[in-house]
Amino acid sequence: MSIPSKFDVVVVGAGPAGCSSAYLLAKAGLRVLLIERGRSAGSKLLWGGKAYAQPIREVWPELDREAPIHRWVTRERFSFVWGDRVLTIEYKLGRSVAFTSYIPELVLWMARKAEGAGALLVEDVTVDEIVVKDGRVVGVRSGNDIVEADVVIDAEGVNRMLLEKLGLAERLNINSGLALGVKETLSLNSKLIEERFNLDKGEGLAWLVAGDITKGLPGGGFIYTMRDSIGIGLVLALGPAAKAAEEGVLKEHVSSLVESFRLHPYFNRFWREADVIEYGGRMTIEGGLSMMPKRLYAPGLLIVGDAAGFLVNTGYTIRGVDTAVYSGKLAAETVIEALNKGGFTEGNLKAYEDKVKRSYIYRELRDHSGIEDVMKDPFYFTKLPQVILGSASKVFEADYEEPTLIKSVMEASRDTGLSLVRAFLKLARVVRRL
Amino acid sequence: MTAEIVRLKRLKLEDLLQRDVWDVDEVRHIEVLDQRGLPIKALLLLCPMGCYTMAGERLLMSYEGCVECATCRVLSNPHQIRWEYPRSGRGIQYRFT
Repeated sequence: MSIPSKFDVVVVGAGPAGCSSAYLLAKAGLRVLLIERGRSAGSKLLWGGKAYAQPIREVWPELDREAPIHRWVTRERFSFVWGDRVLTIEYKLGRSVAFTSYIPELVLWMARKAEGAGALLVEDVTVDEIVVKDGRVVGVRSGNDIVEADVVIDAEGVNRMLLEKLGLAERLNINSGLALGVKETLSLNSKLIEERFNLDKGEGLAWLVAGDITKGLPGGGFIYTMRDSIGIGLVLALGPAAKAAEEGVLKEHVSSLVESFRLHPYFNRFWREADVIEYGGRMTIEGGLSMMPKRLYAPGLLIVGDAAGFLVNTGYTIRGVDTAVYSGKLAAETVIEALNKGGFTEGNLKAYEDKVKRSYIYRELRDHSGIEDVMKDPFYFTKLPQVILGSASKVFEADYEEPTLIKSVMEASRDTGLSLVRAFLKLARVVRRL
Repeated sequence: MTAEIVRLKRLKLEDLLQRDVWDVDEVRHIEVLDQRGLPIKALLLLCPMGCYTMAGERLLMSYEGCVECATCRVLSNPHQIRWEYPRSGRGIQYRFT
């Protein structure tokens, strides 16, 4: 790296969290180095497709005007699927609070913003190690090059190898609360997208699907409309999926599950002419507090974004990008305040953790920690959809007399071999925390 | 009509991989060191890019199609699989994700 060897701040990872910190710190006049291992910022990223705007606007008020927004989400759908039966709830929003985009495009925009504010963005460079001297972080190392910094912001993402090396995070394993996301992007012209999903021009739809599209594995499917494409995919809790594979319960490759979703007789009507233009996967966080490190700071270090476990999964919405951007903002504020208070002592950096704990990020993670139980329990992915669709079939598929709703539910649960009382108690317990 | 039928055909993983762009490094960044104790079926079915295959009894890892998702890292320990990122921007170049 032919760059200065000392900065005020080094940010590791030009994702949403890192770009947010780098932008705000550069804007405040600090010398900031933003290091990205990808050839261009965003090129290693894959997501479902939707971000919540308001927390991002706190960093970039020009978001709506300037960012590569594909569609503003005005419709949310949630479906239970079992066999050829589908039950769908659709909500038409009164105002749109979230938008869709390609994450490589969106993050490239954020990185350009950081550069525009004066941060030095270095792409194509992988950080091998966060350097510690006398008990405090003093910089980063890539190959033989060391760059010193007064403070390092770790925005390395979910696969937090640097934090593991520092001993600040446990090595990732199948019990860490991780999930595997696998996605296809299907190209379809915008007019067809709008016709098929009942959207006005520029409007978007977000659709979560639960049921046998995951072959009974804990997880679900997603569909997001982009400008002229549709993102579809599955998210599977990694631990249960690995167990199912090892025990021979899962017999096919994950790509084949995604293909079955694309070809599903009910869903394929929305995109039947579409070509697959990209395919990929990523590791993600299930949600809840399980991936949050014990401490979000160390002398000379702050941890933001996915590396800090900040992914909120409520079961009906999933948010990781806005929480990443917002945590980057909290880290930047902490750094500026610490400077004014005389330096990056442990005490001054602890303020970051306090800010996180007072913020919506922590409240959401804590309040929706019920998702951790859901993702462990096949009940929600086999019995529950069966009872719901079994009840619907008894109500709507009656040739003569329609049973009452409660009678349908009771019959469906008997067919599924489920104690309704136990199921209800279980649901009530978890729903309170979702 | 014909086009529709073609597109609704199930795509094999090899076909899906052809939709992506890589800049493959000459240097291998992931390597099976010792396959004993590895959850082999999980690696075969869950690596989204199908990088893991069997050659007889031997587990093979082809790093060329890797998207650096770290699923195999999570399913293994450092003695079983050596896991690093590809050097300097090589590997998957996502565009429409």
